Amino acid sequence: MQRPWWQRVLLSAWVRPVILVLVLLVIWDLTIRLFRIPPYLIPSPWSVVQQLVAEWPRLLKESIPTTYATLGGFALSIAFGIPMALVIAYSRTVESYVYPLLVFSQSVPKIAIAPLFVVWFGFGIIPKVIAAFMLGFFPVVVSTVMGFKSVDPDMLDLARSMKASRLETFLRISLPQALPSIFAGLKVSITLAVVGAVVGEFVGSNSGIGYLLQIANGNFDLPLMFAALTVLSGIGVLLFVAIDGVERMMIPWHASQRHDLAVTA
Amino acid sequence: MIKRLTLMAAALFALIAAPVFAQGKDKVVLLLNWYVYSEHAPFFLGKARGYYDQEGIDLDIQEGRGSGVTVQAVAAGTANFGYADVPTMIKAASKGAPVVAVGVALQTSPMSVMGYADRNIRKPADIKGKTVAVTPGDSMSQIWPLFLKKTGLSDSDFKTVSGDAQTKLNAVINNQADLLLGYVMDQAIKLQDATHKQVYPIRFADYGVNMVSSGIIVQKDFLKQKPDLVKRFMRATTKSLEEAAKNPDAAVDAMLAANPKSGVKETALVGMKNTAALYKGPDNPNDRPLRVGGKNMDETLALLVEYGGLDKGSAGKATDYYSNDYLP
Repeated sequence: MQRPWWQRVLLSAWVRPVILVLVLLVIWDLTIRLFRIPPYLIPSPWSVVQQLVAEWPRLLKESIPTTYATLGGFALSIAFGIPMALVIAYSRTVESYVYPLLVFSQSVPKIAIAPLFVVWFGFGIIPKVIAAFMLGFFPVVVSTVMGFKSVDPDMLDLARSMKASRLETFLRISLPQALPSIFAGLKVSITLAVVGAVVGEFVGSNSGIGYLLQIANGNFDLPLMFAALTVLSGIGVLLFVAIDGVERMMIPWHASQRHDLAVTA
Repeated sequence: MIKRLTLMAAALFALIAAPVFAQGKDKVVLLLNWYVYSEHAPFFLGKARGYYDQEGIDLDIQEGRGSGVTVQAVAAGTANFGYADVPTMIKAASKGAPVVAVGVALQTSPMSVMGYADRNIRKPADIKGKTVAVTPGDSMSQIWPLFLKKTGLSDSDFKTVSGDAQTKLNAVINNQADLLLGYVMDQAIKLQDATHKQVYPIRFADYGVNMVSSGIIVQKDFLKQKPDLVKRFMRATTKSLEEAAKNPDAAVDAMLAANPKSGVKETALVGMKNTAALYKGPDNPNDRPLRVGGKNMDETLALLVEYGGLDKGSAGKATDYYSNDYLP
């Protein structure tokens, strides 16, 4: 017997986060009223919503370059990150030389070197793509290395005993077993890539959400600033959900997926 | 027993009373608008020569991260006094920030569009076809359209690149841009220090665009609670600015002694002299520094309403935003 429709809605996945958000908004509004916090310190949720609606065309327009830069940086993270991780996972020598340097480079604050990117690459979209890449690269590498290193050694032995070629072993055993880990890293990477794109925009850009944030800041327009931040978070969420969707398609057999589908070939 | 008790009582008394007795001066925090550069030399001169000590003030000068942040810090009470761009303060005040200017240091605008002298960009007409670096959201980028209007230029006459403070400087140094919008005694000096090449600034004030700039701001509650402290501070500051204008050399020395990385002696001296030239406003040349003319402030407010995004309805009058009552 199927549940009544309103029960199904209440039990669906997206309702609970929305409820939590609403609760948080109410707490935010109450706090501002109770403590009489002035609008130039923290804007009220209602004024943020008003700005969201009023400036919607502009917010949409500015989110396009930011999204491009994010996707570009993310693509570079995959293109460079996964091969590098493969080499690190399969070669002890390379790992011992390269991995510590990679970790060391992570501690360099990207916002300090972002102006240099503008000097080297000009004012176009390239410095923003590179800033997004710099932030999104590390999670991809770390999770991919972990994924390939945790392939079940018994399965590898089995494949070798069956005279599988290295390519076959990789494609049929190592890669599928590493994919869950890789996707976890990709999800972290995309949200960081959004941050990287905005950092790049702060430093040198006349378009994008980062640019809008600077203007809002300079005019003490906190509602617009919060509205832009909301849009930015929205972009992050959408991209995250997209990757989650791809993950469901590619590794439907994994324990982390909810559906009970038939196993792969 | 009695002896021991007396000793303990004396020690306790000393512990409690010591801070009271040591407290001769008021500890005051002055938050600057940016990292230290030649414009701030007068404060270091005043501190070194004891002008603040004489007024019973123990001055702590802290570097800021932009006038916007300084205004917010003063409004929130984190800093007692702020040295910040007064138009920026007016924008915040019109949105409810409880701040007011008690003295305006730069009464002639330091804003300019500048580039290396060897590029021969000397008049507004020379800007056509060039690349200009601006910082979105800052005060100069908002007055820039007025400068363009007054000089007959339009946005399509030149190319614009946007970046933060460091990126603007890098862009001009590395020839990615020909010009940047900056202050005559800040970026001009930095550009010269970096490459030892002369810089030529086209001043906004020369073309009829004048807005006041840096000044001393305080929170309104602080003003109500400690008017005497504010008057003493302004007396010491007025003297510091006057003396720095008369002895720019000594002012720069004091600044470099306190903060060796804040500049190079020769160019900081040029910066200090350029700064002192801005202490006088167009309508009150005989007043002491920090005392601004009413007409000057009216004009600044009008410009903010027309070009600075200030809402006309909530703008009010210029006198809502400043007061000369605490000046000597």
